[in-house]
Amino acid sequence: MQSADRYRIALLAAYALALHGFEALIPTPIPWLRLGLSNIITVITLFFYGIKPALTVTMIRVVLGSMLLGTFLGPGFFLSLSGGLAGALSMGITMALFPGLFGPLGISLIGALFHNIAQLFTAYVLFVRKTEAILVVLPFLAAAGTVTGTFNGIAAKYLIQEIKKNRS
Amino acid sequence: MSLIQTTLADKVLLMVCIFLSFYSVVYVKEAMPKGTEVRIEVDGKLKYTFPLNKDRTVEFSGVMGMTTVEIKGGKVRMKEAPCPNRICIHQGWIENGAIICLPNKVIVTVSHPGSSKGPDAISG
Repeated sequence: MQSADRYRIALLAAYALALHGFEALIPTPIPWLRLGLSNIITVITLFFYGIKPALTVTMIRVVLGSMLLGTFLGPGFFLSLSGGLAGALSMGITMALFPGLFGPLGISLIGALFHNIAQLFTAYVLFVRKTEAILVVLPFLAAAGTVTGTFNGIAAKYLIQEIKKNRS
Repeated sequence: MSLIQTTLADKVLLMVCIFLSFYSVVYVKEAMPKGTEVRIEVDGKLKYTFPLNKDRTVEFSGVMGMTTVEIKGGKVRMKEAPCPNRICIHQGWIENGAIICLPNKVIVTVSHPGSSKGPDAISG
């Protein structure tokens, strides 16, 4: 890896962190509903650098983000960590298995889907232990994940196009 | 220079996601554990416990007189009661919660034997 790439990955992590913090300021109708804006950065990192840097960016974002927001090692932290890692891993694996099949939109949707599945699973194992409670939020999360995943995917697509234009 | 485009697979996936979102609403409604047990209390004492999935009509005496509770198709209702305002009867069929006939001191509840009393939700 070139050192220029290292700087760029660090920069991407900083962007993801900023979006993560910014997003915490946006009020949402339901407390656990998040837009997942930092997933835009994860998708961009995946398309340019692959799965390992994407995981690095996610880890930096989750750990530093939780420290900034004061949720480090709290319940929200583990939800964030499992969701972030599952999202990055699922997107990376999909891209490795089916190169070129999905654009940023599809990758983002897959990330949102697995992010939610991992969070529900973590919530079940660590906190709730009630299948009913998990089942009740499932449709809302699925719908919210589809909407935010689509939005983030389209945002990532335009950003990737712009970056590519400026590079060449 | 190749531009990143939205592929056909993306669109199909989006359709699948939208479909799954709607489908999960329907599915969860079906899969939600319904109450399985009908408990009838008279004057604070548990008098009967019946499974909700077996149709039956039961007559018993409440504090004011003969009372009839009907269980049918996974739902339960107060069929007849001697109370003056008939609120319990007007409540109709329920599959969750309770019918309470105050004057007659009869409480019909639909309960889940396995449900625990944990927190409703934890927000991060």
